[in-house]
Amino acid sequence: MMMVDNHLQTQTQLQSEFQYWLPVLRRFGPDDPFFASGNIERELLAKQVALDLTEEEKQQLRNLEDEHREVFCPIVGCVARLRSLAEFEDHYNARHTACCSVCSRVYPTSRLLSIHVSEAHDSFFQAKAARGYPMYECLVEGCGVKLKSYKSRHQHLMDKHNFPSSFEFFKKSRPSKKERVKKTQRKKQQHATEDGEGSSAMQVEEETLDGLVSALSKLTPSDSSPSAISFGRRHTRGLAFVPRVVHRETKK
Amino acid sequence: MDQLPNDDEIECLLNIDDGINDDEKKIKNKLWQEGSNDRRDGVGVSSDMDVPIDSDMIIEEEQSILEAQTSSAVEELKLAVAFQGKGAVQRQVNALSELRRLLSRSEFPPVEIALRSGAIPLLAQSLSFGSQDEQLLEAAWCLTNIAAGKPEETRALLPALPLLIAHIGEKSSLPVAEQCAWALGNVAGEGEELRHILISQGALLPLAKMMLPNKGSTVRTAAWALSNLIKGPDPKAATELIKIDGVVDAILRHMRKSDDELATEIAWVVVYLSALSTIATSVLVKTDLLQLLIERLASSNSLQLLIPVLRSLGNLIAGDAYTTNAVLVVGHEITDNIIRALSKCLKSEHRVLKKEAAWVLSNIAAGSVAHKQLIYTSEASPLLLQLLSTSPFDIKKEVAYVVGNLCVAPAEGSGRSSLISDHLVSFVRSGCLRGFIDLVRSADIEAARLGLQFMELVLRGMPNGEGQQLVEKEDGIDAMERFQFHENEDLRNMANQLVDKYFGEDYGLDH
Repeated sequence: MMMVDNHLQTQTQLQSEFQYWLPVLRRFGPDDPFFASGNIERELLAKQVALDLTEEEKQQLRNLEDEHREVFCPIVGCVARLRSLAEFEDHYNARHTACCSVCSRVYPTSRLLSIHVSEAHDSFFQAKAARGYPMYECLVEGCGVKLKSYKSRHQHLMDKHNFPSSFEFFKKSRPSKKERVKKTQRKKQQHATEDGEGSSAMQVEEETLDGLVSALSKLTPSDSSPSAISFGRRHTRGLAFVPRVVHRETKK
Repeated sequence: MDQLPNDDEIECLLNIDDGINDDEKKIKNKLWQEGSNDRRDGVGVSSDMDVPIDSDMIIEEEQSILEAQTSSAVEELKLAVAFQGKGAVQRQVNALSELRRLLSRSEFPPVEIALRSGAIPLLAQSLSFGSQDEQLLEAAWCLTNIAAGKPEETRALLPALPLLIAHIGEKSSLPVAEQCAWALGNVAGEGEELRHILISQGALLPLAKMMLPNKGSTVRTAAWALSNLIKGPDPKAATELIKIDGVVDAILRHMRKSDDELATEIAWVVVYLSALSTIATSVLVKTDLLQLLIERLASSNSLQLLIPVLRSLGNLIAGDAYTTNAVLVVGHEITDNIIRALSKCLKSEHRVLKKEAAWVLSNIAAGSVAHKQLIYTSEASPLLLQLLSTSPFDIKKEVAYVVGNLCVAPAEGSGRSSLISDHLVSFVRSGCLRGFIDLVRSADIEAARLGLQFMELVLRGMPNGEGQQLVEKEDGIDAMERFQFHENEDLRNMANQLVDKYFGEDYGLDH
């Protein structure tokens, strides 16, 4: 699209011609970075809550909905009452997960989520960081320190807050694989105070470690959400939820 | 990558002393001791537990117990496979089942131990033809979870691949076929090399056939596995797939009628077909597919579904001018519908949807003048302007493409394209220039180029020197002067040319 512009050729230097705006079709290959955030969404499948139900349990559930029974949200500390599976899922997603809308990674607190969003998805953040402004916040709430790079923040966490060197706030996701998990074990209940940020620094650190080290580093939602949530009638077997785990990172 | 917790880490975890830990321990103890009980009124606790409760803090001791259990499970499997006597089949099934349980624990599946103990050859043997369904199912399940691990763990499945492929044939029972497809999907998802192997071993055709029935979880798993198989970068598989009898029909059928989950997987298949294969694109755009995709885009609220649907549309439009020229004809309802659906995406709170919708619009806006007028007069216009000034950088860039494309007529031969003055003047007077100057200031070369190109349109196309005034007012001269000694020659030249031409010695004389 180099075109001769006579006007400019009177200049003393021979410059290349101005690249005028030209409307063209723009196409991207499937692995182009342009599609990266959408791909991550797919690969994580974080919000898919798969039910592991037998026919009998399905029938129970249908009956449950028919009879307008209510059950309590099984998360420790939550007093919500829910009338159906769908309602449970909505409530659960709204109240017990802090999920990144771009890449679906789940965080134990909104604060950590918002730190993640800035650091991983915001180009202005990147731009400022590239210019040398200290942008990387210390993860421990109340500390207030900001560092200039991901690495120096990591160092700060180790030096000042005794984080292990293996701790990684942000881990890359893995290509599309799905593990089949069928179990009904009850996992750690996420510390779900609805006014969560009232926790002490120690608690945040613990959430950070527990939730993030084991959950984030494997990029499953399971550690910030119960993987087996019992939901059923009083005294009966009840139903179990199992999040459909997509990524497995085997801890070695 | 991931590490077993080291001593310091364990120390940290164990030292945390607060209510949370105690609660967890309480729950754990209760469940252990009492089997099943109510945690509170109205909620039953599932007593159907396959495995004992984990502490979520993996203690090294537990991990090594798990590892020991695994290696003995593999040992038992080895004996069971060799065993010829009475009850041999049941023994083998039990052994497989035990191994499967150990590999299904969600915390730290002992894949490496299983492999080191020699699980793969045994699992492959368990897949031998004529084996009972239950045996095949358990073996395939083990392989599925092994394949979900690290790259070298996935690759360890090589000896079993031909067998897995064999069991997705039409004679297999559905659960077996599905589980094998799942395992194959994991293998295909690992990388190019394994995809190539699977394709050369003939996985494509049987997997495609599994996608043809109307419904069932098997169809969904097959579609998912297929999308992993054809995702390239070699376009051959995508091109082969579109030629298989019944595939196009199945795609249309599912896109028309199926639930969100299946439609999502099908949409991903279409994403790869359209991104990689021009043949597939040209076949698909001549069907009803665009219409169906647009309907899904307009009516669904599932992000999982919207992303691949939107992207499929984008690929089909970007991949073949036929789409914009012959299908999305201005005046036809389908075209109004797509603009409306894309506007819905622009209004979404999800960045991915906003960005990719803008990309799609930019390609439609690269079409005929009639297309540009249609978009310009639609509800998309004000949305674009708003996004241009407020959205994050990556979205802003795409929106910039739309706006710029709307202001420039299609190129005719060489020479610079002519302006669509109405659009340009209106956009500029609505304040779009600031967003473009932001792009000029950004670190992204492509964005900066875009910004400079638009500034040229403004300087050229606004009447009565208005362009120069506006650029100056928005600190555009300053933005351009930054490129004076910029390392990128193109940008340097463009910026200098603009400054020289429009802000040279004569500028300011009328002020």
